[in-house]
Amino acid sequence: MEARSLRRTFKGGVEAVRDIDLGIGRGEVFGFLGPNGAGKTTTVRMLCTLLPPTSGGASVAGVDVVDDPAEVRRRIGVALQEIGLDPVQTGRELLELQCGLYGIKGTEAEARTTELLELVGLTEAADRRTKTYSGGMKRRLDLASALVHSPEVLFLDEPTTGLDPASRLTVWEEVRRINSAGTTVFLTTQYLEEADQLCDRVAIIDAGSIVAEGTPASLKAQMGHDVVTVDLAGADSVRVEAAVGGIPGLERVLTEADALALYVEDGAGSIAEIVRRLDGADIQVGAIAVARPSLDDVFLRATGRRLEGAQEEREEEEKAA
Amino acid sequence: MTETLLLGRRAVREIARYPEATIPALFIPLFFLAVNIGQVSETFPDTTPFLKGQGYAAFQMPVSLMFAVATATSGLALVTEIDNGYFDKLLAAPIRRSSIIFGRLTADLVRGLLGATVVLLAGLAFGVHMASGVLGAVVLVVLAALFGVGYAGFGILVALRTRNVQATNTSFLLFFPLLFLTPNFVPFDRLTSVMEALARINPVSYVIVGLRSLVIDGWVWDKLAVCLGVIVAMTALLTALSLRAIATYDRD
Repeated sequence: MEARSLRRTFKGGVEAVRDIDLGIGRGEVFGFLGPNGAGKTTTVRMLCTLLPPTSGGASVAGVDVVDDPAEVRRRIGVALQEIGLDPVQTGRELLELQCGLYGIKGTEAEARTTELLELVGLTEAADRRTKTYSGGMKRRLDLASALVHSPEVLFLDEPTTGLDPASRLTVWEEVRRINSAGTTVFLTTQYLEEADQLCDRVAIIDAGSIVAEGTPASLKAQMGHDVVTVDLAGADSVRVEAAVGGIPGLERVLTEADALALYVEDGAGSIAEIVRRLDGADIQVGAIAVARPSLDDVFLRATGRRLEGAQEEREEEEKAA
Repeated sequence: MTETLLLGRRAVREIARYPEATIPALFIPLFFLAVNIGQVSETFPDTTPFLKGQGYAAFQMPVSLMFAVATATSGLALVTEIDNGYFDKLLAAPIRRSSIIFGRLTADLVRGLLGATVVLLAGLAFGVHMASGVLGAVVLVVLAALFGVGYAGFGILVALRTRNVQATNTSFLLFFPLLFLTPNFVPFDRLTSVMEALARINPVSYVIVGLRSLVIDGWVWDKLAVCLGVIVAMTALLTALSLRAIATYDRD
């Protein structure tokens, strides 16, 4: 899959996607990470032939999305952010119809439907109308409907947004299984952990532009060894930065709204020095925490702010703990 | 063709699963038929020349038939799918986009045949006699259903253009001037001159006149030909515009 200076401008001059370049190999799980409104869905819609690019181009499974959209559609499976299900049909009817639309007929369609229902754990609910399904069940059925024709490339646009943690894990397992069968997966997400757990490579998009790209490990390695977060609790960030500046092993300082992120070689070893210097300067701060850099830190470095989903994830982790 | 059949079968299934979308739509034409007959049957007794020996129900039944078949149901179903994301799923499938439209129109044909049959049976219960016989009754139902298919194109067009449930729902209101600026209560020559002029430029008038001729006159070929011509032209125009709208759906 490839995108070359792909751009989409909407009426009124809104530049949703600005000249992005992508190169994704066969069999990869590629993550597109970014906050709401960053341009993730617009990019997916262009790659899925649902939206023509304003300029630039793209090919999916080696086929140009503008020149031969019908061939692209034959080769891809799509599960968009808005779960596309017909509430009047049962799960089984929906999958059988989907099979028919991809040229799979008769007993073959019935067998494929049964197989997929089993795969996503919906056999018992198969003959109920989809409007009675829970959010997680709908998402799994939508995923199954994207797989009827065993696509070469699977697009998942925020596949776990709105799901509870257990359903999220089920979707992750399914994505891993699909990928292990050789399907290339293009996944958009605003969840750092999702990108970290699932993706071979990640591109971070913000305001329509790609601001960082690489494997999750390499992106985090660029940030340094450890990150010490100092909760300013109202303290003056300039004074704090001046106080802790020059501590041994300091690689980078990033200022947030109410915190300082210090990227250091040895986080645990630096805390004592940071506290000593803050005391020396008579500065009272809130909590000081040490952690390994996350993709959120990569996002912070690239854009100057945290990802919206990151806070949500932290809260979920705290709840789980 | 297979895609159209598959999507048509799905849309027809909706009719059976959502009777609440069809039954109220049948109540209105039956209500109008009963009320109009009740109000003016003494004004227009069966000795009235234009009734040719029949009761006023025979004159009114074609209007009720058109009420029964002209719905925005397909447009509403389509805009609901646009809203819930299933439409994108269909657009992302390797099918001709026209099959999405033709699948919907298949359901309109079935809905029209059912609705027209119910109104015809109600008319017969009110004492209507089909001057064109049993075959004429079949042609009447089929022509009315085809008119319903043509009219459905308007709701589909509004759904695709506006992508808005309210706009699609209110598009049905356009049918009222189209239906009432016609010789719906009395023939052309009994209308005031202004109303007659408006009725004569309204193509729906000729559909009513054609359907009515089957009920009151028998087989009047020129009226039937004009009626069929209007239905075909309206269906062709609205379907073509809908096909264009779905082909260019993602270019905005």
